[in-house]
Amino acid sequence: MSETTPTTKTDRPAKTDQSTEADQPTEADQPANEPDVTTAADATNGDGATHTTAGETDEQVREEWREYDFEGMAKFAVEDLDVHYGDDHALQGVSIEIPENSVTALIGPSGCGKSTFLRSLNRMNDRIKSARVDGSVRIDGQEIYQDGVNLVELRKRVGMVFQSPNPFPKSIRENIAYGPEKHGDIETGPLARLLGRSDAAARDRLVEECLRDAALWEEVNDRLDDNALGLSGGQQQRLCIARCLSVDPEVILMDEPASALDPIATAKIEDLIEQLSEEYTVVIVTHNMQQAARISDQTAVFLTGGELVEYGDTDQVFEDPHSERVEDYITGKFG
Amino acid sequence: MPRERYQDALETLRSDVLEMGEQVDTQLETALEGLSNGAESPAQSVIEGDAAINERYLALETDCVDLFALQQPVAGDLRFVTASFKIITDLERIGDLAVNLARYARTRDRSLDPDVAIDTIGEEARSLLARSLTAYGDEDAAACRRIAADDDGIDALCQRASESVTRDLIERRVEDDPWAVERLLDDVSSVLLTIRDLERAADHAVNIAARTLYMVDGDPELIY
Repeated sequence: MSETTPTTKTDRPAKTDQSTEADQPTEADQPANEPDVTTAADATNGDGATHTTAGETDEQVREEWREYDFEGMAKFAVEDLDVHYGDDHALQGVSIEIPENSVTALIGPSGCGKSTFLRSLNRMNDRIKSARVDGSVRIDGQEIYQDGVNLVELRKRVGMVFQSPNPFPKSIRENIAYGPEKHGDIETGPLARLLGRSDAAARDRLVEECLRDAALWEEVNDRLDDNALGLSGGQQQRLCIARCLSVDPEVILMDEPASALDPIATAKIEDLIEQLSEEYTVVIVTHNMQQAARISDQTAVFLTGGELVEYGDTDQVFEDPHSERVEDYITGKFG
Repeated sequence: MPRERYQDALETLRSDVLEMGEQVDTQLETALEGLSNGAESPAQSVIEGDAAINERYLALETDCVDLFALQQPVAGDLRFVTASFKIITDLERIGDLAVNLARYARTRDRSLDPDVAIDTIGEEARSLLARSLTAYGDEDAAACRRIAADDDGIDALCQRASESVTRDLIERRVEDDPWAVERLLDDVSSVLLTIRDLERAADHAVNIAARTLYMVDGDPELIY
């Protein structure tokens, strides 16, 4: 602010100074709650030009907008993935590679197919009767859409955390131990105790480890036998993440994990996601644009009609998106 | 269009930055007038007018911070607010340089004038400022690149002018009077600083074009 006087101050050289529930079935098995998907036909006119829902732009998606070069290995390689719910074309020919040990955000308006895409990664769409999936999804090179894939094993590798915290109505300890016990990784039941092979100590170690990893241990270690439903919403969500970690997954899918939480609980979940990405591959659907910008390494933008329009480094997508429709969507001018 | 209040705030910022640009240009014009005719009143007007520029700068800085904090602009909007935030700093500095020029005007010794007219350099700098503000208002990337290229012309003029003053000084016979030497050194210094400050005003105008190019195309080419 000071005036530049020639004798007292030298000016710097100027040049150097330079969704909600709407797009995810709440009860996955019930066709009545199928995603509210705008069909491809709605989004594409006769000459093949694509419009926003408001119809104010007209652009063709370019392949290079979706090409994302990253260092390291791809955890998922998805090719030409199409998902139909009955006659609705929810995902159109999505091809994308998701890097391991990173956070990938999926954003887009309600009904754009991002939750459908997320559920495709551990075949949760199989639970929707009218869903038809075509294309290929490989995890570490292994195709998950083929006969003989063990879905229980797949969902153990690819865990999921949902929008609303959904702990079991059991104790905190049992919430964590339930999965490993079901999978037979630890045995603590009466029979195991009778046969003298109870893994109670191993279970307690696992419970502590998972709760620590989910940044919850300090808050609940004195009440592990209390009912999990007595925890706050944010604690319940971290418990669900701990529960997800207990079966030693490789990938954590999160569908709006913080949308029901207050800013403090949200911040804890976001910190946790960042820490988890050092060991796990995290894929997160969020409607909170700032959250996507804050926590993700790369961002994929889906727009009306189940189309992947742009995919790239998060800073590139939020600072200088290639697609005009993506620009309109993230700046709030969409529709 | 959704987010109307936000869209209005962006448009207001754009017009406010342009208005501040006009205000700064007027300061520069008045300072040049003072340099040209040696009158006291333009110089005084520029020195007194700087407070209004500083005030405007702080108000616009607050507007930008509010937009960042309350609206979290992204993509083109983010580049626009970021560019505007930087551009107002350049404008404020041109305002400071106009004050310097007004001060030099008060003591200007015309016998030391270089062979390149100071007025010519001043008008070139003003023209660059006007063009960069137009490019910002019109979001004209091509104009930004032309402005950056044209800055070399002003740099060359300034170099020629500085060399001319220095050469003249070397050739000058100085009276054997310590006070006269002192006065001459002050006068020469003042002319050289006038040339330097006009060159810097032009450089700030180029900065405005560089930020505008980033704003329009996301291209930081001219910023570096």
